[in-house]
Amino acid sequence: MTGFYVRWAIMVGGLILLALMTFQQYQRDLSTISLATVLNSPATSKPVRIQGMVKSGTLSGAVDQGQATFELIDGPTTLPVEYAGPPLENIRELKTMVLIGHLDPATKTFKAKDTALINNFGFVAAAYLLTVISICWVLFAMSQRVMVLFKEIKDEKLYEPEIDPLGHNK
Amino acid sequence: MATTNKKVAIIVSILLIAGSLGYLALGNFGENIVYFVTPSEVKAFTPETYTKKVRVGGMVVKGSLKTQPEPVGLTFELTDGAATIPVAFQGIPPDLFKEGQGAVVEGQWNDGQTFRSTMIMAKHSEDYMPMELKRAGVELPKKDFMKTLDP
Amino acid sequence: MLNRFIRWIQRYKGWFGGAAAVCIFLGLYIGLFASPPDYYQGELVRIMYVHVPLAHTSTLAYSVLFFGSIWYLWKRDPLVDNACQASAGICALFTALALITGSIWAKPTWNTWWTWDPRLVSFSVLLLILGGYLMLRKLVDDPERGGRYAAILAIVGGIDLPIIKFSVEWWRTLHQPMSFSTRGVAISDDILIPLTLMSIGAWLLFAYMVMVRTQILYLTDLLHAKKGRLFSQTHFSQTSP
Repeated sequence: MTGFYVRWAIMVGGLILLALMTFQQYQRDLSTISLATVLNSPATSKPVRIQGMVKSGTLSGAVDQGQATFELIDGPTTLPVEYAGPPLENIRELKTMVLIGHLDPATKTFKAKDTALINNFGFVAAAYLLTVISICWVLFAMSQRVMVLFKEIKDEKLYEPEIDPLGHNK
Repeated sequence: MATTNKKVAIIVSILLIAGSLGYLALGNFGENIVYFVTPSEVKAFTPETYTKKVRVGGMVVKGSLKTQPEPVGLTFELTDGAATIPVAFQGIPPDLFKEGQGAVVEGQWNDGQTFRSTMIMAKHSEDYMPMELKRAGVELPKKDFMKTLDP
Repeated sequence: MLNRFIRWIQRYKGWFGGAAAVCIFLGLYIGLFASPPDYYQGELVRIMYVHVPLAHTSTLAYSVLFFGSIWYLWKRDPLVDNACQASAGICALFTALALITGSIWAKPTWNTWWTWDPRLVSFSVLLLILGGYLMLRKLVDDPERGGRYAAILAIVGGIDLPIIKFSVEWWRTLHQPMSFSTRGVAISDDILIPLTLMSIGAWLLFAYMVMVRTQILYLTDLLHAKKGRLFSQTHFSQTSP
């Protein structure tokens, strides 16, 4: 009986630990700052991540060779971007991109060195949490039920008439 | 009373199952259920079917994608290898929509000239690999895209 | 007192559960941390590590139900009937979860939660069949007759399995074709490892869950039978002297 609950405590603890580790890693790797924040912050050479949509009609350059200039929009803010880095397989106009680089304070242009993945792990988290929680819940209920049933079967009380078969008590 | 209800419930559930099975057997076993039509079939449309709402599947032709800023929208060409149709869409396309990839668009072949789409769905292939392999030019054995259009 | 098979389950089921836990924990760890994102879908490919194992474990579960039903109609062993009912219940859970995770995957990749694609429709029909199966069992008063009807339904419903499997090859679909086929394996090793681990984990988990559920159904039947005998015996002893 105790062993059962200890096993479950270890398992749920492990799952929660895994969830926390995942959350932390994704927070660290996928957090971005808005275009407005980049434009208003003091210039640093430390690379930052920005997310925005490639503005229609602004994309030009040799995308396959990793050279491109375009404008990124995020709500009312527009930021010109000069990209020089690995080839851009997945870029096109009207697409949301995450770029890594820094702002050139003299020209107010964003010098991007690389792209990063879009932060859409809400979908991933939803799929995992839903599956793990519902299966754990069903599994817990099942294991508990079978334990109770075994106990009941072995219980001697079953052979004592609890209800008056002639119905005198009811 | 309870037994009558149960009988009704049994009959309903059996009907439900038989209905869904029958739908499957009749609908899918014949070639009546077509999830999307191909650009070649759209080209063969007659004026009576122009306003019919259909789904068209094909590959987005490389170099055909043009976007407009105001109102936000795009035009591109969809092909099945044999025929190509122009498609117009207003709004922002899904993130995985890309030239050289598959797409399924919903809309009407309005005037017999342009396909006016109200919704774009991106069709992705069954190969999965990290970016490094893709950049190294690795090709995994996937089904030829045009064959997925007309099995 | 207890059936030999039920005792066997009681002794060995822990191994299945333990192995499933190890595979799934390892799969989750690799799937969430140690595997790279996909070149096209990015992080979203990680949804595959839950969706695909759930989906093909549910077809495996239905196959168990299908062959179990044939066996039951042939031998009429009530324990086989219990095992069939158990697989149907677990299969319904896995099918529902596969549909929901598929929908969550479809929204950011295809741009829709649901569409009338042949794969999606045939897979939903599986859930309908299972719903009908479980309802039929609950509604028919005589459990033996209910089991028989349900077995027939499960065998007839088996027609859906090949339809699900080959729907993406036979018809035009938005769903991608099979990644494992005569063409070869279209998944690179980095992504294949967590997928395989999670799949084996899901199969073992299904085996474990079916064992536990079969025990529950068998023990419940046994309790009913015992209580029934108890009543008749006491009644007899009090009225006959």
